[in-house]
Amino acid sequence: MAAEFELLEHTSDMGILARGGSRNETLIAASKGLASILVNPAGFKPLEERFFKATGSDEAAQIVNWLNEILFFFDTEGMVFVEFDIESWNTDEVIGRARGERFDIDRHEFRTAVKAATYHQFESHPTPQGWEIRVFVDV
Amino acid sequence: MQLEKIDDYRWLIPRTYKPGMRTDAIVYANERLLEAIRKDQSLEQAANVAMLPGIVGRALAMPDIHQGYGFPIGGVAAVDEQIGVVSPGGVGFDINCGVRLLSSSLTLKDVKPRLRDLVHQLFRDVPSGTGQTSRFSVSDSDLNQILEKGPRWAIEHGMGSEADLDNTEERGCIAGADAYAVSARAKLRGKPQLGTLGSGNHFLEVQYVDEIFDTTTASRFNLSEGKIVLLIHTGSRGLGHQVCTDYVSQLDEAMRRYDLYVPDRQLACAPIHSPEGQRYLKAMAAAANFAWTNRQCIAHSARGAFKRIFGEGTAMPVIYDVAHNIAKLETHNVDGKQKRVLVHRKGATRAFPGQPVFIPGSMGTASYFLVGREGSMRETFGSACHGAGRVLSRAAAKKGTTAKEIQKELESRGIIVESLTREGLTEERPEAYKDIEAVVDVVHNAGLAARVARLKPIGVIKG
Repeated sequence: MAAEFELLEHTSDMGILARGGSRNETLIAASKGLASILVNPAGFKPLEERFFKATGSDEAAQIVNWLNEILFFFDTEGMVFVEFDIESWNTDEVIGRARGERFDIDRHEFRTAVKAATYHQFESHPTPQGWEIRVFVDV
Repeated sequence: MQLEKIDDYRWLIPRTYKPGMRTDAIVYANERLLEAIRKDQSLEQAANVAMLPGIVGRALAMPDIHQGYGFPIGGVAAVDEQIGVVSPGGVGFDINCGVRLLSSSLTLKDVKPRLRDLVHQLFRDVPSGTGQTSRFSVSDSDLNQILEKGPRWAIEHGMGSEADLDNTEERGCIAGADAYAVSARAKLRGKPQLGTLGSGNHFLEVQYVDEIFDTTTASRFNLSEGKIVLLIHTGSRGLGHQVCTDYVSQLDEAMRRYDLYVPDRQLACAPIHSPEGQRYLKAMAAAANFAWTNRQCIAHSARGAFKRIFGEGTAMPVIYDVAHNIAKLETHNVDGKQKRVLVHRKGATRAFPGQPVFIPGSMGTASYFLVGREGSMRETFGSACHGAGRVLSRAAAKKGTTAKEIQKELESRGIIVESLTREGLTEERPEAYKDIEAVVDVVHNAGLAARVARLKPIGVIKG
């Protein structure tokens, strides 16, 4: 199945429900979902690459920390990523790369500031079609 | 959920509601607010808070309560300092998000003719919204001083006076803050953001005193009808967000070592006296000090903007600055005995008797100035609510309206708004929030804080 995401409503925050054929594909879809909360991703090109490493004691922590990497790069460098590769994912960490470009207020459309990805109502599990991840972010 | 009505403003979630609750929870609301509160999971979250190890008294939900992550927003929980836990989720990602109210020597009559210039100047001088970085040059050593000294750093650099500290909760500095408990990543996120408003529900509002309910108290704060005031609502920006992110992760792992269980992982916690708990408290204090400095720097920029428009003689003293996302060690009466407790206030403001309490309404609606009352010490560990509280999700708020329509509608009511993004306006439109009058009515009638004055906005800067 093609990986996809939808945004979920929550009184104060926002959620991402991502689905894909595999866990890797689904995390990539969730990452794109997060980017789409921050900005309109349409105007961004994969011009610069950053290395991602998200550690954690379990899968939930690794996914939450991976998404928090996206927020860290946005806050510190203004980087918005539109392409992601996951190179390895073991019991301790997810390693990958992301490509995108720096936010430019004159060319890009900002949407909503996100403080962090949370464990609140977090889910990550296989489905008959592949994989599903649900994560809420604090906005 | 079956709630037991105590009186018109108090409702009980008994500890028998679900296994694991260590105490009852009390919800402060009238019937109409309760109807709105029931639409999300916030009452369930209030019951979850009652499960925190070491909780004393009751878990408390303010009338502006709405669903958060782990803790509800508008939640208060005090835990025993000796045997209790600290939960970063009970403070939130925006550590020491809070409000500062500045008075002025101006009246509505002075400001109205030049309101558009003023709002424009404020928008230029106070960076707001994403991608807008600090105008203050801060070295690594400065940042460490800010984290440990708070706004005193700003005052030493000519941005404010000692009187500003006198009128800031904790004088803007929580003791025990340790810059080295704050990660390099958190510092990297926060450093370019000092003196910036940020986005979301943060704002800068030019208001006037519309009505005074208690003239004696109002005159104590030099408030009179028609006086112009400035309300600043923001927090610790990316620095605080990263501190919370770092420590939720660390405490999530520590919980296994201490054999602790919480019903929502976002409530991750550690014993107050554990190395992990102590380290979080030191980092949280540092982030809180950063937030107070942030509001001090914004106040400095805003004072400059006012002076530019209305002349050098324009005075803007701080009336008060209070946090509404914080955990603080305080002494309270618990079961007839004075006890040291760690009070988590997540979307709740300290409301000690006589202390100013600010309850901002939604964009374009009135805000209220109250003072804490004795009831807050008896019932809520000296706390009251912090705002109107959302009722609509951000996506729902955006439906059926545009930023232009909102701006036009507000302008027709004499309110000038400037925002960097459309979302800043649509997500925060007045209908997205509960009725501020009802929320204030509950805290007033429940005896937690007393109404002093109503403030109405005329100029709004949104991120």
